Amino acid sequence: MHDGVAAYVLGVLDEEEHEAFERHLDACERCQAELIELAELPEQLDELRNAPSSTSGDDPPMSMSR
Amino acid sequence: MCPVLGHLDGRFESADAEAEHRIAVLYQEFGGPLLRHVRKSTGNDLQWAEDVVQETIVRAWRNSARLQWEPSLIWAWLLTVARRIVIDGRRRKSVRPQEVEPPEVDMMSVPDGSERALSAMVVADALRSLSQEHREVIEQTYLRDRTISEAAEILGIPPGTVKSRLYYGIRALREQLRDKGVAG
Repeated sequence: MHDGVAAYVLGVLDEEEHEAFERHLDACERCQAELIELAELPEQLDELRNAPSSTSGDDPPMSMSR
Repeated sequence: MCPVLGHLDGRFESADAEAEHRIAVLYQEFGGPLLRHVRKSTGNDLQWAEDVVQETIVRAWRNSARLQWEPSLIWAWLLTVARRIVIDGRRRKSVRPQEVEPPEVDMMSVPDGSERALSAMVVADALRSLSQEHREVIEQTYLRDRTISEAAEILGIPPGTVKSRLYYGIRALREQLRDKGVAG
């Protein structure tokens, strides 16, 4: 059960498992401590999501450069 | 943060008044910081971020037992609740065909000059330094808005394995980021 803390903090458990993990969390100090440690890590991963993937997005569309 | 929320009994004439007060206190304690964090995951969409914060605060209010936790744990839990709400929203939106697939880490190039690009590069580096198994589960779950079960199907491995690799992968990523001085 303890290893669910990563999936929980990332929000990638399905509904049922998410709720089950929260019940576990209420009683598990080890997972509470890990949750605190990991809570802001997903935001750092979001940096990848938000970063432009290449500079090609800045090019004008073909239709504009006829 | 707040030492409050536990000792309000008896000061209010009605349950409604007490509920209202508790929600106001939650907003006061957590609303501002939460909004700043949530905005990062909504791509700076302020309206969406405000809705997420509001829903997070209401869920927190409904889980008053958890509000007895120590503040750092309440905060971690609130961030997780908010993230879950953002992800649900994102998944609903992506029922419409998705315009752009998230980039593979190896394909990413980021422009120089901004702090944001720099931290994206640091995170991309950290991710690249993980083992293939660890990197893959992070990419196939969180970065693609997929659940453990969905990723398990795509990767052809049991959900329990995805979950456990994700755990060790995330721990390893955190170590990497801490070594690079960008994680607490």
